[in-house]
Amino acid sequence: MRHSALASLAASSLLWLGTAQAATRPHYGGTLRVAMRTAPTSLDPADTAQSGSLESSNLSSLLFDTLVTLDDRGRPQPALAISWQPEPGGQRWQFKLRRGVTFQDGTPVTADQVAASLRVANPNWKVLPAGDEIIVERDSPAADLPVELAQPRNGIAKRDGPNILGTGPFAISQWQASKKLILAANNDYWAGRPFVDSIEITMGQGFREQAISLDLEKADLIEVAPEQAHRSVGEGRHIENSAPTELMALAFSRDGQSADEGRLREALALSIDRAALSKVLLQGGGEPASGLLPNWMTGYDFLFPTNADLAGARQARAEVRQVSAWSLAYEANDPVARLVAERIVLNARDVGLTVQMTNSGIPDARLVRIPIVSLDARLALMAMAESLRLPQPAPAENSSEDLYAAESMLLNSHQVIPLLHLRSSYGMNASVNDWSTAPNGSWHLSDVWLSTDK
Amino acid sequence: MPYTQRSTVYNSPIANLGMIPSPRSLRAANLLLVAFVLLCAAIASASDWSGPEGQLASKVAAVTGPGAVALEITNRSSLTHGEFDEISRGLRSQLATLGLRFVNADQAAATVKISFSEDLQNYVWIAEIHQGAGKSSVVMLSTPRGGGTPSGHDVAAIIIHKALLWSQPRRILDVAVMDGNPTHMAVLDANQVALYRLESGHWQPEQSLSIAHARPWPRDLRGRLVLRKDHLLDAYLPGVFCRSTTNLPLALNCHESADPWPLGTDQINLGAFFTPSRNYFTGALAPAVGKQTAAPPFYSAAALPRDKYTLWLLAAVDGQIHLLDGVSDQAAGKLDWGSDIASVHSACGSGWNILATGSGDGTADSLRAFDVPDREPVAVSQSAEFRGPITALWTETSGNSAIAVSRNLEMGDYEAFRLSFTCGQ
Repeated sequence: MRHSALASLAASSLLWLGTAQAATRPHYGGTLRVAMRTAPTSLDPADTAQSGSLESSNLSSLLFDTLVTLDDRGRPQPALAISWQPEPGGQRWQFKLRRGVTFQDGTPVTADQVAASLRVANPNWKVLPAGDEIIVERDSPAADLPVELAQPRNGIAKRDGPNILGTGPFAISQWQASKKLILAANNDYWAGRPFVDSIEITMGQGFREQAISLDLEKADLIEVAPEQAHRSVGEGRHIENSAPTELMALAFSRDGQSADEGRLREALALSIDRAALSKVLLQGGGEPASGLLPNWMTGYDFLFPTNADLAGARQARAEVRQVSAWSLAYEANDPVARLVAERIVLNARDVGLTVQMTNSGIPDARLVRIPIVSLDARLALMAMAESLRLPQPAPAENSSEDLYAAESMLLNSHQVIPLLHLRSSYGMNASVNDWSTAPNGSWHLSDVWLSTDK
Repeated sequence: MPYTQRSTVYNSPIANLGMIPSPRSLRAANLLLVAFVLLCAAIASASDWSGPEGQLASKVAAVTGPGAVALEITNRSSLTHGEFDEISRGLRSQLATLGLRFVNADQAAATVKISFSEDLQNYVWIAEIHQGAGKSSVVMLSTPRGGGTPSGHDVAAIIIHKALLWSQPRRILDVAVMDGNPTHMAVLDANQVALYRLESGHWQPEQSLSIAHARPWPRDLRGRLVLRKDHLLDAYLPGVFCRSTTNLPLALNCHESADPWPLGTDQINLGAFFTPSRNYFTGALAPAVGKQTAAPPFYSAAALPRDKYTLWLLAAVDGQIHLLDGVSDQAAGKLDWGSDIASVHSACGSGWNILATGSGDGTADSLRAFDVPDREPVAVSQSAEFRGPITALWTETSGNSAIAVSRNLEMGDYEAFRLSFTCGQ
């Protein structure tokens, strides 16, 4: 009996040994070669012309730390600040700085430098150094200030003319604006030296060029267009997909103006076959969306129906006598945007509405992509409203019910029609280990390590 | 209110603390332990949901009032089937208490569609209520997401029992349980050694001893606690050694140190030097394995006492398992084990077994016991599954059990388990 048990276990162990991939502790060393489409001209986290996109946020977090960071569940955690507390009323906050942190040139971080950095990023804030603390004073109560300070644009930087230094896990070795960035591991990084010795980032490469680089083993990590992710797997590449990190939506240039205009926009929203956009055009690289924030972030997104309702759309259309055509603009360099726009034109035509694609003049509506900039749902919704030029929502509290009410109000303005929540997809070669992203697509590159047999 | 780190989470203590286990009593105790833990888990989860069930029921009843409703409940979250069934029953019961009767849709004054969803931090329970012509409302309730303990496995030559000792958001490096009256537990993380006292079945915080260190810790931080006879414990971290005082209240004296870490148990001694800025042992050994004072850099080591010598298995940085017998260094064939191995005196089969981590997909991990009759390991247990990568695996000082720390990828917390063993069929 015992013998047979051992024999069967031995047999199953062979199977286990043969199929299981070895789990090993991370190795130090090596250079990670990354390709990306974005071609920033500046690395300054407070540069509003560069910040806002997922890619610029990811670059920023390699070089700069924030006072507070958000964990993968959106909870504030200490970074350059080890503790914080608001004063009564919530307008004034104190942040105690971590001791012993240095900039990448070895000079110690002081409260003066932190305050100066935050003032650059937030000219309207009153930021004062006080010993080893920072005082931030706002015009109105700011319960979410720690979450706001976790935004990459609030990365702490020492600015010295054209030079900029951070405290992050990597330091700049070489920087050719818009073209190439070489980073070296910060050996004295307060949160632990990254595993790789250096990162080489080639910028301004299209998706196709990146795929070729990966295939030719000239890059270790590339971006993959959401609609190409499925095919890339079929072509034998190793692809990692994030949860949806971006909203694709129709944004109207003007507000609803009249009840008729609002009803027509409602008809357009009901006419769109989002399932086809997701499955056919995006090849599963996105999820149908009728809400602004994805379900992983709020838990209630499914309450906004995504199915096309042609009967409802036709009824709404029939209630309005005067109907004029809308012009719809899209990003000319985005092949998927063109396909989506074409599909919207067809869907609209099916219910008696006219949408004309354009890339000149001031359009009635634009096809836009808006990244989810924070893991905090309230902050993400506010940032999204700002990007869409919608009135700032004001959820009474951070409860799901209040957030749902605020999001519903934004949608009821009929100034935006959500279409899809898009994933971020990355291709990587077999030497890349422990690749992961936060749910909003932020990289965790400090934890990536390279196999030695590369 | 000042910010504080998320508080630590209480977990049911293991039931057989304080016992001196003989093989037979260990086997019986562990069977009782499994039953006890399962019972505790069942009781805990039953009481966990009643609050949110009642709150959601009240919100729904405030809209519908008492009367006949058609109720539909859907699970859109990571709740298990069992949890879903249990909560559904509780919710129905609470709604019934508030005067709602459940009927078919054609007989109902209102339809209530409840979805158990979730966001990043909470379960989000949503009720869509439709009353009459076009009148609809939505009510919601958020409740923090909790976690359970994975269950054990089939009977095998050796059965691995996992008992959850402790979980916390900060990375746990090692845990040491000190039997006595009362029983104590020390939890090592990057900042401190936290001491807990077992009181009425709960771990109560007793003392927190800070770890002073001048240089930043390396990534993939590792550390080990070793219980001592002349004082309570020593803590080994990269480039740092800490020694506790003898008397209460304890103090921890830490200083920079390049001394070797003890890798053996009370019975088997081996010291190895740890690289202060990395995550592995250099390969220099002191005391040596027989005549061998050097080995390839390695992540972990496990001892198998033989009649006349001790065979040491080293999980080397190059991915191979090296076998050191005091004279020769032999690389084992391709085993595809993980980086963490440990040995335990299970009293089954040859008496000593190797525990080796497995898997490697980054989403879960497993651990399995092996017998090494000659030089070829043979699996003698089923895999014990973990809900995330195993980040630490150390033989306890007694040698009879081991501590495994895993990062629960679902919850984000680090969970420390005591691994004990009973002999199977």
